[in-house]
Amino acid sequence: MNRAVLSRLGITLPLLPTTSVGSLPKPPELLAARSRYTMGAISRRELDTLAEEATVFWLREQEALGLDVLVDGEMYRGDLVGFFAEELEGMVLGGPVRVYGNWYYRKPVIQGPIRWEQPVTVGWWRFAQGHTAKPVKATVTGPYTVMDWSFDEHYGDRRTACLALAHELRKEVEALVAAGARIIQIDEPALSTRPGELPLLREALGVMTDGLDAYWIVHTCYGAFDTVYPGMLALPVHSFSLALAHAAVDWIAHFAIAPFTADLCAGVIDVHARAVESVDTVRHRIEHALPLVPAAGVWVAPDCGLKTRRIEDARDQLRVMVAGTALAREQQDSGGSGI
Amino acid sequence: MEFIVQNHSSYPRVGDTERRQRLRRAHAAWERGDITAADFDAAERAEIAVILREQADAGVDVVTDGQVRWDDPVSAVMRAFDGVCLQGLLRYFDTNFYVRQPVVTGRVRRREAFTVDDFRQASAVSQRPVKVALPGPYTLAQLSVIDAAAYDGVPALAAALSEGLAAEVADLAAAGARLIQIDEPAILAHPADIRLLRELLEPLWAARGPAQLVVATYFADAEPLYAQLNSLPADVLALDLSCSPQLLATIAATGASKTLALGLVNGRTAHVESAADIARQVEMALHRYTLDALHLVPSCGLEHVPRTTARAKLHALAEARRLLTSTP
Repeated sequence: MNRAVLSRLGITLPLLPTTSVGSLPKPPELLAARSRYTMGAISRRELDTLAEEATVFWLREQEALGLDVLVDGEMYRGDLVGFFAEELEGMVLGGPVRVYGNWYYRKPVIQGPIRWEQPVTVGWWRFAQGHTAKPVKATVTGPYTVMDWSFDEHYGDRRTACLALAHELRKEVEALVAAGARIIQIDEPALSTRPGELPLLREALGVMTDGLDAYWIVHTCYGAFDTVYPGMLALPVHSFSLALAHAAVDWIAHFAIAPFTADLCAGVIDVHARAVESVDTVRHRIEHALPLVPAAGVWVAPDCGLKTRRIEDARDQLRVMVAGTALAREQQDSGGSGI
Repeated sequence: MEFIVQNHSSYPRVGDTERRQRLRRAHAAWERGDITAADFDAAERAEIAVILREQADAGVDVVTDGQVRWDDPVSAVMRAFDGVCLQGLLRYFDTNFYVRQPVVTGRVRRREAFTVDDFRQASAVSQRPVKVALPGPYTLAQLSVIDAAAYDGVPALAAALSEGLAAEVADLAAAGARLIQIDEPAILAHPADIRLLRELLEPLWAARGPAQLVVATYFADAEPLYAQLNSLPADVLALDLSCSPQLLATIAATGASKTLALGLVNGRTAHVESAADIARQVEMALHRYTLDALHLVPSCGLEHVPRTTARAKLHALAEARRLLTSTP
């Protein structure tokens, strides 16, 4: 149904368009350079040059793999919250806090009024779009997640902190739209953390998106979706990018309790699995989602960003995803796609 | 009256400095196959020794091994049971931390003791008594997906887990553990199940031998359930005061039927509480009732804050104890 929005924005996509969620693995030389930069051994310009080279590498890879909507791979970011915390006035990075297993992030601290001073992703989006004819999706971490994943030492309540972030991050998406970004994904992995705060999330995303002409996606992962469904469908976005492949729960079956009124970007690759899924598994996962949402409204993606994988594993996973999607498209074409 | 400063359960495995990141690097090297499992085990032991010393230096009377060897508390326990497979990640309550979700595919049965070796190792190098904290049967069942005909719901699965955890408690007590904590944060979201929880904890209580059993709730307001929590089979009740704004007043008004462990520093904020404020809160709780002993603890595991913050919060508790015991 939101194909009309994409069409108005001048974007034509095949049935079951494929995309990556956002982050992709950084090449070892970039990882090493980030450490050297932290220690003051190289300049920001030298680091950015390597990040640009890695961005171009992944754009070429995504094109070669046949993905339909590309990402810049977030070669210039550490993690999804810390990057914005470093760039926003009023926030600083704290010490490392564990997320799971051996994964940590430097949990930001809100120390004063949050202020957006200048675009932080726009230059990278523009750089990426300048290197490919395919549409590049812009990705911005959402205000609710930045708030939820930070220590608040200034605002004193979650609502005030969240809405302050929303007003400042809106300036970033305004700048993205002005630069020409037409597909914008807001990453809200914390979406289902506190179901009672769904109205706050809705308000915050309204602040972010209201009156801005773009195709809006919200991405979320590893949550208990039953606690926020179907209420989450009221969020002011066109599409939900959801981690579905890893889950012990059949979320598609659960979502059938109410009409899924948005587009669905179905996660069909478990980014934390040791083995790469088979093409058939991907095809089955896509077909499992199709009764829920008309095929014209279904996207295909991994569950989450692939940055934790090795480059060759991420490449294999995306290859399998594209191949599985091709099989699902054939099936749809032979049975009628409904577009 | 005796004040005992206790760590809660988890403790940050890594810190800010390059030196305090050694375990992280060793873990990555082990996953890459660059070092052996024995090398990684040695790295974990070394960091556990540092963590034990750090807690003692902060003034903590009863320490933990920080649950350093666990990827997460749920999968660490459930992987010790037959009839369970571990699936994708699931957010752990309303934290920024994730656990692998257990899927119960058959009858659950504890294969063997799974914390006793860690307890013995930690005790052998610790200057202070070591507490072991385990997630409880009710919370584990609530966080699991049941895909087995053997269990028709949470109560049945939790009862089976209770049996296995009771055996673990008995093994720990036999190994010398004198304080064993059972974490049941899930009960606060399901207060109607408090009677079920009582039944589930009975086997653990009966198995504790000479050890004291602590039952801990956190991450939500415990005040509405405070009276019923006092009726649980436990020696010590650990409470998260950061999520329970009225609880101190209730304790002050009604007292307690068992020893309390007051979660007086927030295990999820960067702000380090002042010792004077902590001491004031304790005095408020005790203004009418005198208890034989009071434990001062973080509100929850300290893994949710950076290492320097965790250390400072423990130090604040110890300093509060000094203020309380030096007051004429």
